[in-house]
Order: sequence, then C-alpha cells, then structure tokens
Amino acid sequence: MSTNSNRKLATETLEEWVAVESRDELAWTVRTSDIEISLPQARRIESRLNQLRGPAHSFRVGVLHTYTSDLLDPWLSFECALQDLSFEVYHAPYGLLRQEAHADSGLVKHAPDLTLLLLQREDLHPDLARPMAGFSLKQQEVLRQQALTELMELVNPLRMAVGGMLAVTFLPSMTGPGLGLFDAHSDRSEVRWWSLFKAEAAGLMRDTVRSSLLLDLDEALAQLGRERFFDPRFWYSSRFPFSASAGREIARRVASLGAVIKHPKAKVIVLDADNTLWGGIVGEDGLHGIALGPDYPGNAYVAFQRRLLDLQQRGFILAMCSKNNEADVDQVLKEHPHQVLRQEHFVARRVNWLPKAQNLESLAEELNVGLDSFVFVDDSQHECLAVRRALPQVEVVCTPARPLGVPGCLDRLARLEIISLTDEDRAKTQMYIEERQRKDLERDVAQGGGDVESYLRSLGMKMQVGIDDPRHIARLAQLTQKTNQFNLTTRRYSDEQIRAYIESDQAIVAHFSLADRFGNSGVVGLAVLRRTDKEAATLDTFLMSCRVIGRGAESAFLETLLLEAHGHGVKVITAEFIPTAKNALVTEFLPSQGFTQKPDGTWERMLSDRPARPPEDFPIDIAIERGTSNERMHLRDAQL
Amino acid sequence: MDIYDQLREVIAQTLRTPASSIGPTTRAADVPTWDSLGHVNLMMSLEQTFDVQLDVEDLPRLTSVPAILEYLKARGIG
Repeated sequence: MSTNSNRKLATETLEEWVAVESRDELAWTVRTSDIEISLPQARRIESRLNQLRGPAHSFRVGVLHTYTSDLLDPWLSFECALQDLSFEVYHAPYGLLRQEAHADSGLVKHAPDLTLLLLQREDLHPDLARPMAGFSLKQQEVLRQQALTELMELVNPLRMAVGGMLAVTFLPSMTGPGLGLFDAHSDRSEVRWWSLFKAEAAGLMRDTVRSSLLLDLDEALAQLGRERFFDPRFWYSSRFPFSASAGREIARRVASLGAVIKHPKAKVIVLDADNTLWGGIVGEDGLHGIALGPDYPGNAYVAFQRRLLDLQQRGFILAMCSKNNEADVDQVLKEHPHQVLRQEHFVARRVNWLPKAQNLESLAEELNVGLDSFVFVDDSQHECLAVRRALPQVEVVCTPARPLGVPGCLDRLARLEIISLTDEDRAKTQMYIEERQRKDLERDVAQGGGDVESYLRSLGMKMQVGIDDPRHIARLAQLTQKTNQFNLTTRRYSDEQIRAYIESDQAIVAHFSLADRFGNSGVVGLAVLRRTDKEAATLDTFLMSCRVIGRGAESAFLETLLLEAHGHGVKVITAEFIPTAKNALVTEFLPSQGFTQKPDGTWERMLSDRPARPPEDFPIDIAIERGTSNERMHLRDAQL
Repeated sequence: MDIYDQLREVIAQTLRTPASSIGPTTRAADVPTWDSLGHVNLMMSLEQTFDVQLDVEDLPRLTSVPAILEYLKARGIG
C-alpha cells in the first residue's frame, strides 16, 4: 500500500489542509494521504471538518471488550469524521459480555448500528492461553469445537438483543507462534489451528447469525507488521495493546463499516481509459505505444486492472467513460495482448467527446441506478473537479500521477467494502451484459419488422415457478426487503415470517426464476396469497425484481399462481395496491390483469368471470415445482 | 512556536480543553479530561509530536506541564 507511510505530517501541510473551505474536500485530502498524522493533528482536522459542516449521519457503536478499548475512541471519532459520520459510542464495562444481552443493558439502550466485540483468544477457552503444541491433534480438534460453541453462545444472545450489525474481532497474537519459525511446518501449528478456527467461526456466523461479520484483525496486523502494530508499554501498563498507527488502522476499518451501512450503496465504478487503465494516450501513442505490460510502468496498470476484477467479484459493475475515438479504445480492449479488462467486463461504455458529467448521467439512466451509487475514477484533476462540481453525489477518485500509486488507488475507499456477498452479487456483471444483449435483440427484431410478441418468443424464455418451496427462504425475504419498484404492497418480511407462510396451510408462497437464451435470472419474483375464506384469497404480496421487467413475466407468474389457487378451490382473489414513493410502476398493474376496483379502493377478480389464463397464452415455457409443505394444503382441501 | 506553546497546543487538542486553561504549573488534577485514559492519549501525542520514545517508567511521572517540559529539555528538545 503506502510507500511513504513513515513520513510525518508537517505543520505547514496541516495548515494548508485545514485552510480548505469544504468538508468533503478536506476529508478527501486526508483520506487519500498516507502521511502519518499525530493524535493532536487528527483532533485539529476533526474539529475543522465539523466546523465546516456537521456530519451527514451519526454512527452508533457499542463496544464490548476484554481489554482497554476507550483509547481507540479518538481514532474512531477521527476516522468516522473522515467518512462524514459522527461517532457515538458506548463502551460496556470492562469484561462484561453476556450481561450486555439483557433487555435493559447499556448496549441495548444505546441502540447501536454496530456492536463491536473486541475479544482475546483465551476468552473462548482458558486452554487458548497455553501452548498449542502441547495438545494432540485430537485435543486441538476438541478445543476448536469448544471454542466455537463458546463463541456462538456469546454471539447468539447479543444478536437477539440488539439490531444493527455485529462484528467480532480477536486480538492477534502479540508474539509469533509458540513453535517459532518451525510453526508452519509442524502438524501442531498454532497458526493453522487459528486459521481453521476463523474459517469455521465465519461459516457458522454466516449461516446462522444475521448481519454478522468476522472482522479479521490479523489483516490489520499484516498491513502494519507486528512490530508497528503493538505497543507493549501501553499493554503492560494500561491493558491497551495497540500503537497509535494500529489504533488508526483499526478505526479506519470500523469507520468503513459505518460508511457502507450509512451511505448510499456504491454499485458502479466508472473508469477513464488513458492514464487510468493504461499509461499514455492511445489516440496519440497508438496501440503499441501505451504503457501496459510486464515492465514498469505498464505492469502497474496491469495490476490495477486485476484489482478491478477483484472489485467486480465483490459485486461492483464496471463502466467506462473516456474522451477518445471509440475505435482506438475498442482496439485496445480487443487486441492489446496485456489488456486484462475486455469488452465483456464493462457493462456500458461512453467513449466520445461529450462532457463527462453528461455521460455519467446517461450511464445512470441506461443502468437504471442512481448517480449516488457511482464511483468515478479519472487521472485528470480537471475532469475530477468538473464532475465533483456538476454531480456532487458521485464519489470521485483522482488516479495518482505516479503509476506506482495507481494499483492501490481504490483500496482505501470505504464504500467499496462489502459486508455481505451473494452468488447474485458476483454474477452481476453477467446479468447486465445479458440485459444489453436482450436490448440489442429487441432492436434487431424491431428493425426486421417484428413486434414485441415476436421479440419475446425469440428469447426462448423458461419460467420455473416454485410453490411453497423452503429452499429459497433467505432470497425471498431479501426480495421483500430490497424490491421497491415492482412491488404492489411493499410488505417487508423476515426469514422467519416467510417460513411461517410457507408452512401455513392458509397461504401459498410462490416464487419464480426466469431463464432465456442469454442467461438465468435466479429467483426474481415472489407472491404471497393468503386464504381469507373457503373460496376467497388475498394477494398479500406480489413483487418482481426490476431486472426482468419488460418480458411479460409478471402476467405469466400471476396467472400461474391464480391457476394454482383455483385448483385449491379459490374463486375470488382480492388485492391491494399500496402506493409508495417508488412503486408508481405498478399503479396500473391490477386493472391490466382483469381486477376491478371495489368502493373501498381494494381490487377484486372473480375467477368465474375472468378465469386464470393457461400457460400456452404466454411466450414463456412455464414449469411448476411444489414444495413438500404444499401437500398439507392438498390434504386439508380433501378433508374440507 | 517555542516548546511550551507547542506543549500547550498538544495538551489542548488531545484532551479537548481550551489552551488558555493550560499554564506553566498545570497538573493532571487541574484538567478534568486528564484522567488515566487521557494520560495515555497524551503520552502518545507527546511521542508523535516531539519524536521521543518514552520509557514505560516515565509514563506515571509525566503528569504535569513542568514535569513534561523538564523531561523534554533533558533530551535536548526545546
């Protein structure tokens, strides 16, 4: 990361910094600098930030700890200020952990956005303070299971007691492993035990503890090195383990969580091309003249492009915005032997001579995301300033002038951290590419004189409808949480609530996924139909992810659901449309599907007058799969 | 800025107290935020600002402005 991290901030530089008249600019300058800042200097900067403008959000943190934690506060407060957050902290009394899960504990009263557990290894088991090499492999395995059990017994009640996020940390080992340089080679390796433990603890938390995170302080230690990370003087005199540098590094990581939780989610990284993806100017230096390849400075750009692939795996999508001749850039993407990012890595491109702010706006429109989800990366100070002025909601990163600084230029951007990762996040680029191919096909069909119907038929769509299928509960709950536009009632449900509906014989929970010649959408639609009477049911929830809009899936899904309901003896379907700030899209949905409005404003469809349409009516192959719990509904119907 | 003014500034910023409340004879007991935690923070600030390495034995002694000034002077600072 930093090449100059031992440089101290000169008083003159500090004065220049705090002379700036904008909070955002001062924060940005400090965030992107790797100069060491002393505590009084940090406090001076923090006061100046708050003087320029109050922070956008508060970030409430509850700290449970078994070593001194208060001394982190100045750094936490500083790093939060740099992320436009005000740091509001509660420290539990030293050593109190489980007690804080009580309903009237200080932690619960603090209502934290983040509960941070600062634990030591031996908190989980006294044997963890003894030499690991003294235990047989069998004993090590038993010890690991006991430590995991202890961890879950600590975390679970806390998870029940407080909302927000729960982050668990373990103080790294202050000394090297017990077996010294032989440790890694030994079958009783302490480092190996600890790696296995972390992997298993993370797995358990991921699967069973909502909004939890194993925040690995070993990574923070690796960043600084053990000698710079710990300060034995304060450890032995005050039970505070960290050096000032480590305090700041840990605080930076915690504040990043705050930024991810509190600020709009970043989704798109928009990249300039010349002197950002490669060195030099392709229009002037030519395909073989740009710096991109195995030698310096070209290798720095290759490294940066690889870093961008990492970010793509985190779920961010890449777009390009470059003032260039399109053909020149195309040639690099297609033909340059050392170019890492090819056409298929960019979901959209704007290569032209228009102002960049204008291009960003049109990208936002094309990708159907807000400008506040954009991170814009460009080497030109002038372009960066212009975008920052015209579109203050866009996060702007100016690529360092020295190629050496380019590969790491996004590493410290808090909003590019993630706190969860699904298969869908990792496949996001693919989804956008498929959508673009669909649009191209639609245009081609239209140009050939075809109508929408023939376009839809040409997609070769297959819909998989699942009824009362318990395998997708987490995804279905997530859909109720995240879907705002195509959503009739915007009811938010937890995993437990969805499970209860699936298991109930008085409700049908249907979902669908949609595949076509370009790809598979995954689970993108959900309906909950509740029986209100022997022959009547109400459409409690009907929603669909925006990514499949415009393919007629909503009608096919609804009619399939109604057919299913009819099979259970339902003759009348009632439905509601609850308007919100974001769901204007579905205002006309119910009338378009044969529902008529009743005097009380709700909607109704009599299946005798308007029967459910059969699957053949749609340009989609529909297959239905029923979960086991649905059998009970059949049985009950038979008994009625 | 001489070493005394610089020290006042460091104490004021670290302990979040007005510089005007810090004088040549100020002791920890005179400043409400100069408690045991504030003291550790202040010691870190001194190290970072004056580029000194304090010994763990020095920490409990440096609890007043005159003591700190004397300590710095003995190490050729100021």
